[in-house]
Amino acid sequence: MKKKVFIALLILVFCFSGGGMYIARSIEEVITNLENVITLHQVEFLRKDLQNKIKVVQTDLLLKDSPHALHIDPFIAHVEEMEKASHVCSNCHDDDDDEVRQRLDHFQQKIDSYVKMLSRVYTIRANAERLTEERNAAFSLGEETLAEVEKIVITSSEKISKRITRARNSIAETEHLLFFLITAGPLLLILIAYFFLKQFTSSVDALLDATRKIQQGNLRYRVQEELPDEFQVLASAFNDMASSLKDQCMRMQQTERLAVVGELAAGLAHEVKNPLAGIKVSIEVLANELTLEQEDREVFLRIINEIYRIETLLKSLLSYARPPEPETVLLDLHQLLDTTIKSASYSLINPTNTAKMIKEIEIVKDFSPELPPIIADHAQIQQVFLNLMLNAIDAIPTKGTITITTRKESNHIVQICITDTGKGMSPENMNKIFNPFFTTKPKGTGLGLAICKRLIELHHGTIHVSSTPGEGTTFYITIPEKQQIQGITQ
Amino acid sequence: MPGKSYQNSIILFALCLFFLLATGCEEQQNSKTNNVPGKTHTEKLKLGLITEQDIFSQKKRYEPLAAYLSRKIDATIELSILSRYGNIIDNFVANGLDAAFFGSFTGALAIRKLEVLPLARPEYLDGTSTYYGMIFVRKDSGIHNAADMRGKRFAFVDKATTAGWLLPMHYFAENGIEDYYTYFSETYFTGTHEDAIYDVLNGKADIGAAKNTVFSRLAQTDSKVQEQLQILATSPVVPANALAVRKDLGESLKLKLKNALLQMDQDVEGRQVLHEFGARRFIPTTDNDYAPVFDYAYKIGLDLTTYDYNNE
Repeated sequence: MKKKVFIALLILVFCFSGGGMYIARSIEEVITNLENVITLHQVEFLRKDLQNKIKVVQTDLLLKDSPHALHIDPFIAHVEEMEKASHVCSNCHDDDDDEVRQRLDHFQQKIDSYVKMLSRVYTIRANAERLTEERNAAFSLGEETLAEVEKIVITSSEKISKRITRARNSIAETEHLLFFLITAGPLLLILIAYFFLKQFTSSVDALLDATRKIQQGNLRYRVQEELPDEFQVLASAFNDMASSLKDQCMRMQQTERLAVVGELAAGLAHEVKNPLAGIKVSIEVLANELTLEQEDREVFLRIINEIYRIETLLKSLLSYARPPEPETVLLDLHQLLDTTIKSASYSLINPTNTAKMIKEIEIVKDFSPELPPIIADHAQIQQVFLNLMLNAIDAIPTKGTITITTRKESNHIVQICITDTGKGMSPENMNKIFNPFFTTKPKGTGLGLAICKRLIELHHGTIHVSSTPGEGTTFYITIPEKQQIQGITQ
Repeated sequence: MPGKSYQNSIILFALCLFFLLATGCEEQQNSKTNNVPGKTHTEKLKLGLITEQDIFSQKKRYEPLAAYLSRKIDATIELSILSRYGNIIDNFVANGLDAAFFGSFTGALAIRKLEVLPLARPEYLDGTSTYYGMIFVRKDSGIHNAADMRGKRFAFVDKATTAGWLLPMHYFAENGIEDYYTYFSETYFTGTHEDAIYDVLNGKADIGAAKNTVFSRLAQTDSKVQEQLQILATSPVVPANALAVRKDLGESLKLKLKNALLQMDQDVEGRQVLHEFGARRFIPTTDNDYAPVFDYAYKIGLDLTTYDYNNE
């Protein structure tokens, strides 16, 4: 589109500048033609003027020595005017071809001779015969000159007439062309503008229509038309946005569903917890008081164990659905992590042989000395760390390393990373691990990480995971140094 | 307010533009006025010219000089050309002339009859400030002396010229021609030195008399003059055509005129005008410079105070 707009702009600039230049040139041409016509008329006038001036001098010559003779000064003035007129004629033809120039030079020589003869007639003192002869010679030359001018006038009149016709035709042509330009130019501009507007509005209409469809809830609608240029890019982006919107909606719906299920489960757990405690106590009493065969006693113990499992599940459900408000204190995170590492290490002790470990795991601590103490709920944060460390231990099959890193981020936030070199996760699982009831363990509840996320969010922090199958997993936790609870900064 | 300051800026800009244009126009107008050649002056000076060559060429030759002098002396110089040499004496008073470029003989006549005061005369490009008269014939005419002239046609210039009249009169006296009317078949006055030369060259007359300066000038442009004409006699040298003023002309104007002429060769414009005129400079001239003319006239028995210079 940018290219088209640029090209259109160029066309417009070209049309305007080209048209402008052409109009300017045409006007100049018309002016030149008009000037030519004026000049030609002027030339005609000048030739007539020269003719008249020669006639005046001839009249002076005829009147010489008569009672009507002029004084010498007016006669000199008349001759000078005639000379001036002939020079004007000659100067006008400076640029003409050699033939015309030669003819005019010859004519000018004739005028010069005529002037000398006129002077001679006025200065000579001789007998009547010589005087008459001189006067007649001058008069004859004057008549010859006059005849030549008349001849030039007739010849040039035809040429002038042709030139004037040519000039008029040229003016008429220019007029037609100008009229065409004035009419066609705006029409061309309107056509170009219409073409661009149509392309623009049809594309905008298609996008607007798609927006309305999405607004009406039709998230499956996509812009199918092939739109021009950048509009196609916009349509693709719009389609991607619609797809993303649909995914987000589905995810939200799922989250909402899970939340509802969680709430229901927690409610149910609360209701089941007390009767279950009664059942558990009753079974324990019966198991202790009754005289039972060994096989029957084991059945009772299995029942009690299952009741314990149900209780644990119920506690987890309640922790997820209705976590208690954090009771914040000033915490030394490194101390808390050390305690948690110790607690987690117990799970590695072989129950049959306490001197041996079930897995060979090295725990590496990369603690930042600049880490400040934070204000948080001691029990909840420890629960999060313990959960993540136990998961890390579970993820390592027999041998591996768990690295715990702490550092201070900017804006009063601390970061804790727990990295294991375990089996890792697929991207699909990674997206679901914080969903409640999602688990990959055979006996897992699927609530551990969901609770972790919930507790960290209660502290206005974040928890993220990155994992590569076969290489390991890292959990990134960020927690603010201070907590804002019910408008009070702690 | 931004709008108002914008309007004020436009008005200010328009005023500046108008001022600049107006100043430009005024300057252009002033420069035009200064360049007008025919600028009017408070004083006027009417200057007479004689016909050394045809009326129109002679006038054209003196026009640049007159324009230059007008600017220098701050007076309008008006040229008045006369159809005859003798007219200048008659018309000097009648036409109210203030000054004139007199020929040597008309100058001598004017000094005697009108008591004019000569101021300056040109020094030509060859360094001379004088000229002489010549009697000439066509080489193929067979005329070699006064005896050969009998029954031929003689072309004088004017009865008021040294070269075109005094010289022939002196020649006739020396060669025993007492009555030229009967000695020649026809005599007439061409009015200009140029015409006298061309009349002989073109066969309109057999013998002619004219001044050497005009003869040389024509010979430069027309080789036939030198090739086909033969000089039979020459006159003594006489002063070139000098500017003389009426005796009662204002001293201040007289001085300005004299200084302007004598200092012409000292400025570029003056040198340019002098070059066009065919002179190197103007030199001072007094009555004494006319002594050869008075002597020459005396030799042929002319009394300049009573001399009738009108052509028959």
